[in-house]
Amino acid sequence: MNAGTAATPLDDARRNIGRDILAGESGLSALDRYTAYIDRELQRLYGVAGAVDGGVALIALGGYGRRHLCPYSDIDLLLLFGEPVGPSGEQFLRKLLHPLWDAGFVVGHQVRDVGELDGVDVDNPEFLLALADARLVAGDVALRNRLKAAFDRPAVQAHVLGALQELTEARHAQFSGTLYQLEPDVKDAPGGLRDIAAVRTIAAATDPGLLRRHGDAASLAQAEDFLLRLRTLLHLDRRRNDNVLGHELQERIAGELAYPGQTPRQQVESLMADYFSHARAVTRALERIRRTAPVPLGVNLGRTRDGVRFIDEQRAALQPESWPAAFQAALDAGTPVADETLDCIRRHGDGVSLASLLPTPEHRAAMLRMLTPRRGLYARLSEMHDCGLLGRLIPPFRSIVCRVVRDFYHKYTVDEHTLQTLRNLERLITAPEAHPRFSALLNEVESPELLVLALLLHDVGKWRDEDHAVESVRMAEGFLDELPLPEGGRDTVLFLIRHHLRMSQVAFRRDTEDPEIVREFATLLGGEPRLKLLCLMTFADVGAVSPDTLTPWKEELLWRVYVDTYNCLTRQYADDLIGRAESTAAETVARKPADVTAAELTSFLEGLPRRYLQLFERRTIYEHVRLARDIHPDEVHLRLARAHASWELTAVTLDKPMLFANICGVLSSFGMDILRGHAMTTPGGLVLDVFQFADAERFLALNPGASDTMLHAIEDVVAGRSSAEDRLRGRLRGLRRRPAARVNPIVRMDGDASQRYSVLEIVAGDQLGLLYRISRGISEQGCEIDLVLIATEGQTAIDVFHITRRGVKLTPAEQQELTAYLQHILEDNE
Amino acid sequence: MKLLKAIIRPSKVDEVKDALAKLNISGMTVTEVRGHGKQKGHTAIYRGKEYNVSLLPKMQIEVVVNNTICDEAIRAIVEAARTGEIGDGRVFVLPVEQSYRIRTGEQDV
Repeated sequence: MNAGTAATPLDDARRNIGRDILAGESGLSALDRYTAYIDRELQRLYGVAGAVDGGVALIALGGYGRRHLCPYSDIDLLLLFGEPVGPSGEQFLRKLLHPLWDAGFVVGHQVRDVGELDGVDVDNPEFLLALADARLVAGDVALRNRLKAAFDRPAVQAHVLGALQELTEARHAQFSGTLYQLEPDVKDAPGGLRDIAAVRTIAAATDPGLLRRHGDAASLAQAEDFLLRLRTLLHLDRRRNDNVLGHELQERIAGELAYPGQTPRQQVESLMADYFSHARAVTRALERIRRTAPVPLGVNLGRTRDGVRFIDEQRAALQPESWPAAFQAALDAGTPVADETLDCIRRHGDGVSLASLLPTPEHRAAMLRMLTPRRGLYARLSEMHDCGLLGRLIPPFRSIVCRVVRDFYHKYTVDEHTLQTLRNLERLITAPEAHPRFSALLNEVESPELLVLALLLHDVGKWRDEDHAVESVRMAEGFLDELPLPEGGRDTVLFLIRHHLRMSQVAFRRDTEDPEIVREFATLLGGEPRLKLLCLMTFADVGAVSPDTLTPWKEELLWRVYVDTYNCLTRQYADDLIGRAESTAAETVARKPADVTAAELTSFLEGLPRRYLQLFERRTIYEHVRLARDIHPDEVHLRLARAHASWELTAVTLDKPMLFANICGVLSSFGMDILRGHAMTTPGGLVLDVFQFADAERFLALNPGASDTMLHAIEDVVAGRSSAEDRLRGRLRGLRRRPAARVNPIVRMDGDASQRYSVLEIVAGDQLGLLYRISRGISEQGCEIDLVLIATEGQTAIDVFHITRRGVKLTPAEQQELTAYLQHILEDNE
Repeated sequence: MKLLKAIIRPSKVDEVKDALAKLNISGMTVTEVRGHGKQKGHTAIYRGKEYNVSLLPKMQIEVVVNNTICDEAIRAIVEAARTGEIGDGRVFVLPVEQSYRIRTGEQDV
């Protein structure tokens, strides 16, 4: 194509549209024909422009994509390449664009490669909007499909709608927000063509059926045709992309279109009355759709004023696996699920099985995540219950629907009591000032969804009149197998269900000033995680009996039992060791795998605190036994594994001075923030340390071979080949410039809690290297660290050390000296 | 008639109730109360931090008994509620001038 020969067909094509419109043809069909002419020109040029490495797609955007290209409009084009543009791509661009420019086409082109689609230009709202009308003109269909897939994601659609809202408001502001313009811009003014495109984009992105339901489809199509005819005539008259219907043009066009009237002025009035009538229809449709269109929240999900609803109910009815997502979206958006959506689930729920609601591991994991205590959980689960979905997702729950149990205390049916327990948990988050101690406790729980699950199931056995906790456990067992619970999660949930009445019995009916009562209760729990869960469960359960049941009196008793048991668990566990012929370890021995001998298992367990058996699952214990094999002095056997969002390091070695400090030091030198952990030493000198830490700098995730590097560094430091202090020096200097979290450090020694150890409790602001500095300080004072509990709660580190000096408890003077020394170390860092 | 007002440990309510039932005293009022006696509460330590628990949860049992069994009832309460440790509580004895049954309006003799 060259300027001399191509100009004539283009001029002819433009002239023909004007002629056809004046002859009475609709604007839509005339422009469709003109668009087809441009398409053919592009397809011809694409054919001769040559092959491109990775392929290319010519994609029409905006009005051109909608087939509404007016005679002098820019041809908006996306040139989407399969690979970053190389020499073949550059040649293609030259061969396509130069002839177009030479022929007088005004091309607004964008060049992208598919690799850029992952982050579809959210900073370029006009481009994003133009993509809404993308249409393949020539080239690779697969590339067009990639673009569509990238664009059709709910998050992108939400962004498009947000951008559209802002652009529309800014555009209307340029016209003082009124459609009644004496010389209107038929494209940009309120009620103009851009508003029609906005209406169609909103409908397409949210609910394509909206226009039909509003009864706006016909009036919008008429307005669009009218405005396109006007715009075409304007372009042809001005021979440029000018869309303002000025006074002079009004008179000329009114005449050309033969508007009724004796005088040109009367004809203009007829034309403009027509214009305002259509512009009003457009404005009304836009306002209505902006008011009612759902905001896209997920696949087939949108948010309206009534709440979250399915966009296409028929589709949702056939996809029960999409139902729980409506409640998750409502939780995320802080709105209810719309009544019509609840009705839809109610109507189609009969016979829907758990397998069809949660068909994949991802669905089951999402269901579990939904049970995290948060604002709105009670309301959403109540809606779920109301439409019958809760009983389908949690089948045991069905046995207590509207179940009446008569006693003097309960005010609600069993199902509502159960949901009220979740409301109590939720209030600990939404109104923490009401029960600050319990709110803080909930924040410390690692997997709060287990607590919610246990509460949902704790009373399902009440369909029978006998011991309901036992029946609840029986019913929960099968159901819990369906869920991807974290390690130990199933046992924890069943434990909580089985013993959900125990803590209130101890708190309100037993003499908790008797240390034996507390010790017995602590033995049942085995560790602080279960204590916290059971305490919160009791708080929620008692509070859900009636509004008056959880009195401040009972709350105080419950808290006192919590504190006494916490202290017992953290300070007194060291005296309770696993013996040689330990009956509680019998099951662990009986179920051992073939590669672990009974003798090595018994030998490994002997002398560890009994708490060890409750803290770790059997398969983890067997793993520890394997790690402990063939261990020699100065050796350390290590295992590193992912544990949810953090990492877990298990180290087995033989005791030596500074050992604990050195391992902590190496971890800190790699930027690892130690969150939780246990260190245990047997009287025979075998050391088992388990650390959970966060890799905040993503050293392990980003560097291949990083885990080997870190493990070798630990081996070197334990063997004495290198020093943790040297490794840490640079980091600690940097940390001094970064203050620790603002928590006043507390160092407290207890010489009475344990028969064998002095117990040192430290509460301080969490900071990288903290544990290293504390444990090094303890070692520097000539003390041996035998047992450690490490916990981090928010910005606070809580560490409990069981220590001795020369093999015995510290004297009061030594305690005082050590306390002062550590206090100095911690304050020095403030 | 006497009003016996016993402030006892929460864990002792059932034992005191049972002991009074053996004397055929079944009517009683039980209230959750908080307070302290001579020991003025105690100090608890949680996570290294000391805090004073000055008002301890206790139970208050109120029974009205005839003068003839008053001493026996006091003995029953004291024996059932005793642990021997500080904080076992108190029994107060107050005279009751008259008593009426609301349903019938009749006066107890």
